[in-house]
Order: sequence, then structure tokens, then C-alpha cells
Amino acid sequence: MASLTQSTASRLARRIGDRGPVREFLMFSLTGELYGVELTRIKEILSPPPITTVPRAPREVIGVCSVRGLLVTVLDLRRKLNLEERPLTRRARILLGAAESGEVIGLLVDEVRHVVRLQATEIEAAASALGGDISEFVLGIGRPSGEFLILLDLPSIVSG
Amino acid sequence: MAELSDKAREEFFSEAQEIIETLSRNLLSLDASVKGGSSDPSLINEAFRAVHTLKGLAGLFGAVRLGALSHRLEDVLDDLRLGRIELNQHVLDVLFGAVEAYNRILQAEKANSDEELDVEQLFVDLERIGAGAEVLASPVADYELDPGLLAVLTEYEEHRLRANIDLQMQLYRLRVQFDLATIDKALEEIKERAKRHGEIITYLPTGEATSADTIELDLLMASRDDLSTLVGSLGADNVIIEEIPRRARRSAGPGTLPPHGPQVLGRADSALQHDIERGGLEQAASLRSLTQTVRVDIRKLDHLMNIVGELAIVRSAFGRVAEKLRGEGQRKLAAELQRLHRNFDRRLGEMQDGILEVRMVPLGQVFDRLARVVRQISREVGKEIRLVITGAETEIDKLIVEELSDPLMHMIRNAIDHGIESGQRRVEVGKPLAGTIALNAFQKGNHVMIEVEDDGRGIDLSGLTEKAITLGKLTRSEAQEMSRDDVLALIFLPGLSTREQADDVSGRGVGMDIVKTNISKLGGVIDVHSETGIGTKMTITLPITLAIVSALLIQAGKHTLAIPLSSVSEAIAFDEAAVRLVDGREVITLRGQTLPLCRLDRLLSLEASLEFNSRRRFVVVAALGQRRLGLVVDFLYGQEDIVIKPLGKSLAGVRGFAGATELGDQRVGLVLDAAGLIEEVLAGVEAPRALERRLG
Repeated sequence: MASLTQSTASRLARRIGDRGPVREFLMFSLTGELYGVELTRIKEILSPPPITTVPRAPREVIGVCSVRGLLVTVLDLRRKLNLEERPLTRRARILLGAAESGEVIGLLVDEVRHVVRLQATEIEAAASALGGDISEFVLGIGRPSGEFLILLDLPSIVSG
Repeated sequence: MAELSDKAREEFFSEAQEIIETLSRNLLSLDASVKGGSSDPSLINEAFRAVHTLKGLAGLFGAVRLGALSHRLEDVLDDLRLGRIELNQHVLDVLFGAVEAYNRILQAEKANSDEELDVEQLFVDLERIGAGAEVLASPVADYELDPGLLAVLTEYEEHRLRANIDLQMQLYRLRVQFDLATIDKALEEIKERAKRHGEIITYLPTGEATSADTIELDLLMASRDDLSTLVGSLGADNVIIEEIPRRARRSAGPGTLPPHGPQVLGRADSALQHDIERGGLEQAASLRSLTQTVRVDIRKLDHLMNIVGELAIVRSAFGRVAEKLRGEGQRKLAAELQRLHRNFDRRLGEMQDGILEVRMVPLGQVFDRLARVVRQISREVGKEIRLVITGAETEIDKLIVEELSDPLMHMIRNAIDHGIESGQRRVEVGKPLAGTIALNAFQKGNHVMIEVEDDGRGIDLSGLTEKAITLGKLTRSEAQEMSRDDVLALIFLPGLSTREQADDVSGRGVGMDIVKTNISKLGGVIDVHSETGIGTKMTITLPITLAIVSALLIQAGKHTLAIPLSSVSEAIAFDEAAVRLVDGREVITLRGQTLPLCRLDRLLSLEASLEFNSRRRFVVVAALGQRRLGLVVDFLYGQEDIVIKPLGKSLAGVRGFAGATELGDQRVGLVLDAAGLIEEVLAGVEAPRALERRLG
């Protein structure tokens, strides 16, 4: 998948001209805001299976669930990013990604939108403009077609 | 190491490891027989063969360091075998050193590291032992005889070989093809004809034959006649005669000892290459004979076990469908499905047992390593130790065995260093000079018990208390309130050692707390018993396997939880009225004994479930070793076989859970860590509460 994405990206880059490499981000919404994570970091998108809460777990851990026999730790991105909690709708999804330790991590999000392609020049390094406490998780800001998109750095989220 | 497939590498390592363990066992037996004043030549022969095989293996896999060491070791063992050097404690020390070096080299090869291993001294020692041999040198070494052939000589044959060499006979090798049907007669015939020229000393199959009904033998012959005479007399289409050349004499005396390691290595390498070329056929034969066994990566067994776990979920679903059919009045179909379900259940159980059995290995594997440690330490500290092992055949999960060797080694080191008194002291108090350490293993229900027992001075209780007070682990008044068992349990605190001085062997008392942590990681517990002046006994209780576990499924609040059955002694109905408060803790009386209670929903802050609120509750009695704890739960579902999956790293800090398991219907249930819970809850009951606070 990585190689496929890369070839798509390079094809696009050729077409658009030499404006830096193109990166693909999966756009999703969380408490009304739009966020993006790099597509290559996401292994799978799931409808939430039954999640078992784990007593005594850190606050941002919702619990564990099983995906075809694999035990997944599910994180609540809203708690991780200090966002307001709202009840989930049936559009809620879990994004599966892998931490460096090999642990499979699921990120609970309100709704998955679509994939956006951004050139390096279109990504603002504007982490400092956001609140200091989440800046460590932010890659930058993207503005595809006028929308305001906070680009998250998945590795630092799942490993912290 | 040369490029190899991972699988071949794995097999090479596990085979090499096995051979090294065999060698180690041989050396230990030799050690015992030398102490008894004799040495069994067959043991030396066996050790020699082990090293010889290892050398061949190292050659096949291009493991140069392993090959070089094997080559040197083979020479020394060969000298021992042929009586050119005497087997004594010093030689044994060096040989044991070689076993350690093998292990280090193997580790380095596994890690693919080219790191310098400090084996030069060992090479020098081996060389020195070998050099000493020249004084007693036997002329057998003057001939380029195949070590594989020498390894199988009987004592008589070896005697005849020496006698013939002493008589200045020339040695010949006759390679003869025999017809299988007539070999007995043909062999007698050739022996008879050979008598005119000399003597056939031995014969050995070469492992190579031109067709299925022929066999090829190498005959070792001593004769006064020259090659052409022999060829004239014995030669035939099926007989090839070769003279066995004399080899150049080996370096003699310490004066010609190569000054540095690398040179030794270099020389060993070229000689090794030569040997491997010659040993090729024999190697092929011995590899063939191993095909009865298959080496399997334990992860593959885990994978199979996971599949069995998933099949168990399918099985439960069958059961539910059968129930549903019955409820809908489809009795006939339901009965049929029920029958299939039972059949499936039985087969699945057999499959599970089969896979578990494959994972089981005898504890002897780790005990052998410990015997080596005992020998080494007892020589280092100058105490005579008798190690008595029972139950080495007791089987336990391979993964547990791997994790056991460090904790057991710490315990044994402690026993030798702190437990067993000096020889002089022992004689003074009327004990036998040699201290005894007993290593006992046995199975008890679903558990394996391992005892490490010494007949030393026992644990010094007042010294232990004083040390704990000095280190600020408890106050003097707390110490006075403590029971004997509480005091003994202090040895498991970090940083406690009853010795004033740190030393090489047991270090600074970091041992026992780590031992305890490692044992509880395996789901086990450790108990200590000690009598002043009589000795100390540590008992480890471990589950037999980690792979699949029978568990009791319970409900607590909104959670369905599993408790491994191995740590459950019984479950009883809970009677709120029977609860008493003792020292601020809830307890009930069960058959005359006080049982501390723990309300799981409170301990784990579980959300209450309305469904179970008004129902009758239960107490699950968790027991590990001597300790018992009553867990108050809302409902018992019954017993189920589960596969425990570890929680991810981001949940590593969460105490009280051993992992999670699939419950069927897509849900995941948490598995309680009974040992951890007992530890957590009872820590406050057994020791004064102030102590608990301080230890966190």
C-alpha cells in the first residue's frame, strides 16, 4: 500500500509540477473540528466493535476490543487532545494504526470524511498557534479548499 | 555467519544449544566421578563426540568462532580419551569454561554480532593442557586417523591400535564394498586373509553405498608389509587400500606456544577446514538419523493455540444454537446438533492437549544449567556443596522454563553464599562438611512446585529486621509487631541482604525482590520457610502452562471477568450477614479459618450493573501458595478454556489484570491477575499498614 501511495503521489507531483512531494491525509471530524492523519499510517477503518473498558487504565484509553483475534487498545482522541466529549453517533469509526512497540492502537473518531492531498508547501508549520498542550501531536495546518485542517502526527499520539 | 535462511539458522542454534547442554551434562557426570576417584572413559568419549558433532555443525553453518573453539576442545578431549593427559579439577575447570564460552559465542552468533569475545585466556588454557600431553604422548596421534573413527573404538580395539603402533606397524585403510546378503562371511574372509600381513583393528560403515543392497566399510588395518604387497594380496574390485600417513608432530612444550590468541585462532581455522572436508560423509550420516524429531518455533505453537481458542468460541456458538433450536421446539435437530457439539468438544480438547504436550519440556533442562552454576560457585567461595536433584523429569511450558533459569540461579547463589556455612563452622556445629542443596520439582494438580532447600544456617531474623530498620523500611515498633512470617517476607524487599559486605557471588542483595517479580510475571508465587541452624526452603508454585488456561468466568458490576482456575480453590455463596470487621478489614469465616474479603467492584471501581444488583452474590476463593483471598463477585458463569492475550504496552502500568480474552459474541473480557490481586490486597493485612504505605 505504501508503494502504491507513493507512486500515486509521484504521478500527481509530476502532473502538478515541481511544487514538492504530495502527501495524502485522511480527514476526519472530532467535536466539530476537522483533523487529518497521514494515510500511510492507517491500516484499517472500522465500525466500533464492542469495547471493554479497562479499570485503572489511563484516562485516554477507552478500553480494548478484538479485531479478528487481535487485541486492540482503543484511545479516545478527544481526551488525548483535551476536547469536549459528546455522545457518539453511528458515524463513529475506529482508525487502526500501529505503535512502534508493535501494539495495535485504535483511535476513536466522530466521523471519517475523505482523503485530501497536500503538497509540502501547503502545510503550515503552525503548531505554536494552537494551544501548547497539544502542539506535540500536531504536524501542521492544512487548508484544502478553504477548510481548516489540523494535521496530527500519529506516531507521537500512539506512543505517548 | 554465512547467509542462511532464518529457519536453518534457528535449527542450527537449537541443535548447537542441545549439544552444548549434552556436553555440560557429561562434564558434570565426569566431575562427580572424578570426585569419587575414578573417571568413566565412556563419558569422555561422549563429550568428545558431542564436540566433534558441534565442530561439523559449525563448519556447515560457517560459524567460525564456534568451530575454532570446538577444534581446540576436540584436541584436548582426544588427549584425555587416549589417556595422554590426566583428568583433574583444573582440566575440568577449563572444560567448564569452554561450555560458558560456547554459550557466549552462541549468543553473539544469534545476535549476529561480531563483538570480540574474551576467549583468549581459554584458548591459552586449552593449549597449555594440550601441551602438557606431549610428555605422555601416545604415538596414536602421529597418524592422521579420522577422529570419527577414533571416537568409536572399543577399549580393546584402542589397546590393539596402540600395541601395533608400538610395534612400528604401518596403518592402512581398506575401503570395501560388501554385499549385504553375504557381508558376515565376506568380512570373516577378508579378516582371515589379512592375518597373513597383520591385523584388522576395527571397521566402521562409511554411510555411503553404491546401491541399496551393498554396504561400504572402512577397515583399519595394521601391517608390517608395504602398500603394494597388501594391494597384491587383498586388492579386488570392491577393495581400495590406502596408507594412513603419519602427521607432523604437534607443537611441543610451552616454549613453542603461540604468544597471542589470534594466531591460535588462525591455525585452528585452517585445520578445521581440513577436518570438515574429511568429516563430510560422517556428518551427512548423523544428520539423517535426526529426522525423527522436528524443531518448531514456539510462536507457531502459539498460533495454533490461538486457532484452538477461536475454535472454542465457535464451539460455544454451536451450543447456543442447539439451545435455541430446543427452545423453538426443534427437538430432533437440537439433539443432533448437541451430539455434534459434544463430539467437536471432545476432539478440540484432544487437539488442545496435543499442542500443550508439544510445548512441555522437562525441568531437567534448566536444572542441568544450575548444576554447573553450583559447581562453579562452590569452587569460587571454597565451600563444598552436594546438589541433590529430584523430579528433573517434571514437565512445564517451554516459555516458563526459559524464564526460570535466572530466578533459580539467584536463589541457589543465595543459598550457597548466605545459607551454607563455611566448612569449619559446619563441622563445629556437628553438620557434615559438605553442605547440601536440594532442588526438588513435582507436579501438584495444575501447578508445578519447585523447592530450593539448603541445610545451612537459616535466615537470620533479627539481622534481617535490623537491616530493614537501618534502611528505613520499617520502624522499631513496627518490627516488634511483626510475625515470624512477616519478617521472613522482608527478604523480598528491594535492597535487603543479610551480609554486611557486597560480594561477587550474590552481589548486593538485589536478588530476591527480582526473583519474586520474575516469578509473579509467570503467574507464580514464592514462599519462604526457614529454621535457624537447620536451613531454608524456598518454594515456587507455577502454572504448568501459559498458553491456554481454564478459567472461571464471573460478573462484577458491568464487567465479565475471567479468573484462571489454577488460582481458584472454591466458590461459595456470599452471605452479607456473615461479614465481620477485623482491624478495619472485611473477613468471613470459612471452615474455621478467617478469609479476608475483597469486593472486586470496589477495588477496581467498577460501574454497578442493575441486572445483578438484587441477585445473590458469590465469593470466589483465590488461593496461591499459603495465601487466600475471597473475591466478592456478582455472578458465576462457569468454567471455560481461554487463550490469554497480553494487554498492549499503553496498558502496561495497569495492575490487577493478566491480559484479556475473547468471550465469543465479539466481546473481550479481562483476565484477573489473581497473584497480583492477592499481593495487592493482602500486603495490607500481613504487614502493618504503615509498612505498606512506605513500600507503596
